[in-house]
Parts: sequence; C-alpha cells; structure tokens
Amino acid sequence: MVGPVLRAGAWPAVAGVSGVAVVVGGCGAAFPTAASVLFPVCFALLAAAAAFTLDEPASLVVDVTPTGPVRRTTIRAVALLAPLAAGALVLLAAAMRGLALPWAGAGLALAGNVLLGFAVACVVRTRTGEPGAATAAAVVLVLMAPSLVPHVARWVRTFPAPGAGGPSSDHVWWTVLAVCVVAIAISVGGRGPRWRAHRGRPTGVNCVRNIRAVEGRAGTRYQALTGIRGPHKMKERLR
Amino acid sequence: MTTMIAPGRAQAAAGRTTFVALAGREVRRFAVNPVFLFGVGMTAWLTSTGPGASVTEIDSANPLPAGFLGGFGMMAAFWLTRSMRDSEPVVGVTPTAQPARSAALCTVAVVPLICGVLTLFAFLHFYPLGSPVYGPFSPSARIAILAGQIVVPSLGGPLLGVALGRWARFPGAAFVLFLVIFGWVQLVTILTLSHQDSAPIAVLRLFSPFAFFTLHADAGGVTAWRGSPWFFLGWQLALCAIAVLVALLRGAEGRARSRIIATLSIAVATAVIMLVLAATGGFPHAVTA
Repeated sequence: MVGPVLRAGAWPAVAGVSGVAVVVGGCGAAFPTAASVLFPVCFALLAAAAAFTLDEPASLVVDVTPTGPVRRTTIRAVALLAPLAAGALVLLAAAMRGLALPWAGAGLALAGNVLLGFAVACVVRTRTGEPGAATAAAVVLVLMAPSLVPHVARWVRTFPAPGAGGPSSDHVWWTVLAVCVVAIAISVGGRGPRWRAHRGRPTGVNCVRNIRAVEGRAGTRYQALTGIRGPHKMKERLR
Repeated sequence: MTTMIAPGRAQAAAGRTTFVALAGREVRRFAVNPVFLFGVGMTAWLTSTGPGASVTEIDSANPLPAGFLGGFGMMAAFWLTRSMRDSEPVVGVTPTAQPARSAALCTVAVVPLICGVLTLFAFLHFYPLGSPVYGPFSPSARIAILAGQIVVPSLGGPLLGVALGRWARFPGAAFVLFLVIFGWVQLVTILTLSHQDSAPIAVLRLFSPFAFFTLHADAGGVTAWRGSPWFFLGWQLALCAIAVLVALLRGAEGRARSRIIATLSIAVATAVIMLVLAATGGFPHAVTA
C-alpha cells in the first residue's frame, strides 16, 4: 500500500521545487551577505514543495477506496522528507561556510515552513484533489510578505536574522506549528466536506460514478491502489 | 481581380473582429482576477500612504509597484493562460488559431500598464524630479529610472506570465519564477554593494527584468551606481518583445512560425546590445551626491 500511494505522488513537482530551493539556498550559503535574503526565499520554496505532496489527480476514485484519509495523508507525509532534506542540506552548507546563523531558530523556521505548506494543502485537499498549485502560491505569497512589504516586516519575521532587533521568528513558528498540527488533525479526521461525504466503505454506486468521471484520464492510479486492472474490471467486480 | 480580393478582405475584417472580441474578454477576465486585484490594492495602498521617513533614496520605494503590478500580474496572467489548457481539445478546432488567442491574451498587459502609469504619476507627486532622493542622475535619467522600475515591469510581468503559461507545464511555474527573479535581484544588488565599480557585476545587476540604481550612502547623500537607465529601459522593452514572440510561437505553423523565429532572433540580438550598452553607459563608476 505504501509503495503505490507514494508512487502516485507529484514527485516531479516536489523534487523540482526542492531543487530550485537548494540552488537559491546554495547561493545564500555561497554569498553570506545575501543569506538573510535568500534563505527565506529558499524556505518559501520548500513550503511550496511540501504543498504538492498531497496532489492526487485520481482523487475521485482514490477518495472512495477503503484506504482512509488519515492513512493516505500519513503515507504521503513521507514525501515531506524531500523538502526537509533539501533545507537541511542548505543549512549544512551554510554551516560549512562558517555562517553565524541562530541554528535552532533556522531549523525551527525550516520545519515551520514545510509544515505550513503541508497543513494548508491538507485543508485544501478536503475540497479538491490537486491542492498543490493554488496552495503553494498562496503559502509563498504569505511567507514572502515580510520581504515584499516593509510594513509587514516591522511586525512579523519569518527567518531569524543574526543579531537583529525586532520581533523574533521563533514565536511566529511555534504558533504556526501548533496551528498546523490542529489543522492537519481536523482536516484528515474526516471532518472536511468532501471526505465527510465519503466516510466509511464506499458504495458500489459511488465507485462506478467516480470511475466514469475519471475514466480515460487517470488510468493507472487506482489500479495501484486497488489491485484491480481497469475501470471495466472494477465495475464488473462491483456489480 | 475584385472577386479574388474581396473574400480576403472580408476574412481579415472577420479576424480583426474576432481578435477584438477575444482581447476584450481576456482583459475583463484579467481585470477581475483576485491576484491582480490584490496587487493593485497593495500598490494603491502603499503609494497613497506617501513617502515614509525611511525613504532616503528612490530605490527603497520603487520595488513595491514592480513586485505587486509586475510580479502579481505575471502570476495572474499565467493562471489566465493555463485556465484554457483543459479545454484546448475543443478550443483548438475553432477557426481562431492559438497564436491569435495568445495575442489576445497579451493585450491584458494594457491593464497593469495603465496602473503602472498612474503609479508613476503618484510617485512624481510624492517624489518630484528635483528631489534629492534620485541622487546625481540627470532629470531625463530620473524619468528613465522611474519608467524602468514602475511602468515597464507592470507591462512585462503579465507578458512573461502569458509566455510561461503557453510553454510551462508545471502549474507552479509562475511563483517559482517570481521567487527566482526576486532572489536574483537581491543577490546581485548585495554583490554590487561590495563591488560598486565592477563592470561584470554591473552586467549581472542589469541582467534582470528589474534593477536598482541608487543606494543611500552611509556618509550622507545618495550613491548612483554605474549603468545607463535609458539603455536599461531598452533592454526591458526588448525582454517584453521576446516574451510576446515566445508566447506567439506556441502553436504557430508554416510561414508565421518562420517570421516569428526571425523576429525573435532580432529581438534577442537587440536585447544583448541594449544590455551591453546599459552596463557600459551612464556613470563609469559609482558617484555620490
């Protein structure tokens, strides 16, 4: 089960955006004077990568399979290791270059960014099968607000700047982490409108209706999940 | 002869009518896009609050309209372009070819351009050309700086979004590009702080759709970095032309494709020349006034 669910993930998007983040963060490590500007950009990209982990083009079928949202989300959460590893690589490179960053705060910011992207994706996933693009864009804009708007930077900081005054980013990220955990728990607990509608074992009617809706565009995803070779076979079995 | 020409003219007139109708529809869709409206709202708010005490040189106020009108306009145009992708099998068989539809999409850039021009006037109200925040630049160069940092990014952002939407398959390409451009501009600007007179660093700084030209000097006054604002404006306009041509290239066939490729090569050559002139023109070294 774990293998097929992970295989169905939007790995090109997660890996691609994480790769761009590593390049941006690598530039921050290579040019220490630019690190305080480029690391927030890198972390925002990692949050965007995390938002793509729950994308499921065959959601109409997958959502009515016996595998519940908790299990699917738990398995997909393994994909968060990619953006987390990318962020850790960037911080390691910065440490090797001798950057004087508050490492605990930077690590917390990394975890907070990634979890924020994932939590928002979890919430939006209750409405749509592919929350990645919209969620990632929204999360990026929110995370970049302090960099884009000086008025916001006076009140909120998303990255710990060494030796700088003003608000601490740690308070922001502890709060965000707590809110994210609650949001994830609520959204995967089946209380979202879409998953609530499909709670429990699916009926044959629902399955066939959903299979018809995705027939021809999501050919193999549910095959991996259900072990049934094709829509017509599944229909036959349900009859 | 008359009977042979008449159908051609009628076809051209019908094509123009279709294009105008399509362009009007796309402009309406773009103008009510929430992302673009948010960008316009933020620009209006930040501009209307006027100069803050922290604005000691023009470059500390200019990036905001460029980011909100150009950057957010790019994302809105990208989504607008991609929104038709799923219906391409149906739309693709209509008499209107994809390049014509791309051209109609490119016309949406008029909306942020108008917003950019209005913002420019607002800036001139708060920061008149005689203001010391412009540093040692001449009055004409000051106009070029404002146009290059406010008006042209507002035009170029949506055009880039259309080109990206036509070619990029990844749905998050717009915000990734936005962040990459943002990071690049910050990186080369920070490098310029420590290498103010370096020609290669000046080229890198200007090799971007947006560039800074001034810096508040620690000893007082404003430092103007090397580079010609007028030629930079030319480089930006060449980038806009490249974006339009790249968007039109998608789906173009036969003679039209050859013409677009030929024009594209001219635009690229012009852009390179403008970049070199922008880096070598203007002040030969940093000047503080």
